Amino acid sequence: MSGNLISHAEKAVIEKPRNLKTKKPPVKRLLYPGLIFVALVTQIPFIMTIYFSLHSWNVVRPDLGIHFVGLANYLHYFTQPQFYTVLKNTLILTFGALILCLVLGIIFALLMNRQFFAKGIVRTMFVSPFFVMPAVAGIVWKTMVVNPNYGFSAYFGKLTHSVPIDWLGQHPLFIVVLIVTWLWTPFFMLVLLAGLQSLPQDLLEAAEIDGANKGQQLLYIVLPHLLNYFEVVIMLGLIFILQVFGEIFVTTSGGPGYASTNLSYYTYREGFQNWEIGGASTIGVITVILTMIVMTFLFSFMRRRFKEELT
Amino acid sequence: MKKLVKSLITLMTYVMAFIYFFPILWLFITSFKQEKDAAIIPPSFIFSPTLEHFHEIWNNGVAYYMLNSAIVAIVSTFIALLLGVPAAYALAVYKIKKSNNILFWFISTKFMPVAGVIIPLYLLFKSLDLLDTLSVLILVYAAMNMPLVLWMMRSFFKDIPYELIEASQVDGATGLNTFFKITLPLVKSGLISTILLSMVFAWNEFFFALSLTYTNAKTMPVYMTAFMTQEGLFWAKMSAASVFAIVPVLILGWFSQKQLVRGLTMGAVKG
Repeated sequence: MSGNLISHAEKAVIEKPRNLKTKKPPVKRLLYPGLIFVALVTQIPFIMTIYFSLHSWNVVRPDLGIHFVGLANYLHYFTQPQFYTVLKNTLILTFGALILCLVLGIIFALLMNRQFFAKGIVRTMFVSPFFVMPAVAGIVWKTMVVNPNYGFSAYFGKLTHSVPIDWLGQHPLFIVVLIVTWLWTPFFMLVLLAGLQSLPQDLLEAAEIDGANKGQQLLYIVLPHLLNYFEVVIMLGLIFILQVFGEIFVTTSGGPGYASTNLSYYTYREGFQNWEIGGASTIGVITVILTMIVMTFLFSFMRRRFKEELT
Repeated sequence: MKKLVKSLITLMTYVMAFIYFFPILWLFITSFKQEKDAAIIPPSFIFSPTLEHFHEIWNNGVAYYMLNSAIVAIVSTFIALLLGVPAAYALAVYKIKKSNNILFWFISTKFMPVAGVIIPLYLLFKSLDLLDTLSVLILVYAAMNMPLVLWMMRSFFKDIPYELIEASQVDGATGLNTFFKITLPLVKSGLISTILLSMVFAWNEFFFALSLTYTNAKTMPVYMTAFMTQEGLFWAKMSAASVFAIVPVLILGWFSQKQLVRGLTMGAVKG
């Protein structure tokens, strides 16, 4: 009898932790499907891209066969002048658009951070380009905005009695930068606006009492407060702006020559126009490496953020 | 004086918003014009409107490509949520070893440019005879958007007081019940903005769509570029086609922009 009791009690003691164990969160079941899926679709193809980049393989020339060539593809591109044009274009496009997005984004955010009539409609107008697909944005700009023969560019050319500029022929990269800026500024505005709205109002009042004018308030209180928001929006914006593709495809097809080709578009040209599997893979790998280098500048900041948050 | 400055700033805001929105406005206006009025100099706001281009493009079967885009956007977003939300929940609620490393790995896959994976994916799908099917687009878009879903949803889940979840478990609710009855309603606005963003990116995506489809699985962006190559001189017609391409997402965006602002910044700024 008593032995029975003890064994019951023992059982309870033993069972309690076991019960807890079965209640243990199903972390693996929740986490692994997504982990495996993303790894399969993004990481394994990249490893294959590296593998292909070490081979010479042209799909439309099967007679040439597939050969292991080591780093010959890389050497080939490093000696091509157009490769450096493309590299330069990628950097100009990315950082040009990024800076313009930041400047316009903060201006729009400051303008929207006030009370005025029909604010909702104005915000809708500012936000709308964000939802326009790059292909259509390119078409609108190419045909209606910068076309030298018809449309607004031609009209303003006539008004000022000057020869209308063939924007896409003469300044293709500049136009691509403008289109990308037009599409992405709303995103920058939205994030920075939320930052402005999270600013404690009494901080500004205190500064005003202390005699700080609007400019000083902006410089010493508002902008430092926005630092986190700037960092986040730069990181997110960079991810997308580094990979601009549709805007270029539709407006300039990377031309004239290579004047508006960036690394993404170069990969497409080599892969899907010249059918150089090895070459396109090489550019792909270089694109990833460059992305990693740019992101590493932000890497330490991100690590810092996540550590802060988790403690 | 101060009042004057204020109204001047407001006026400036109106002007800037108008200029900024103008390309879209002009696209809409042009789509209602007759072809002879479309490319006229000086550009004119006065014309006799017509719906003929919308009729023509609709009759030429634009609905098929819109449906393609819609299926791809909806199904890929659904898969991204199915895989991303549980993972986000796990990372936010449970204490996991190396959870920042896992999170960072997910975000770093977003750094992976399309250029870095497109060639093997193309060759793989080609050898499996899957090129030009909606399923490959769904697959790659789901993978493209899942890290975004994970990142945003994780920060919304982190905002929920853990006691609430615990309390419901004490009340005898099972894990799944808790999740659908208590946790999910609390993150509703975040979830909506996540869904919206994922769908917008999938609807507008171009590089994968261009490389992996030809005719049957063509989505709206690819349809638009083909349209431009063939009929690029007909501005009014092309504008009407563009309107079909952007209106679904534009309306979606207009109606949920408030939620988007909140979700985006909560998700983005809190890490």
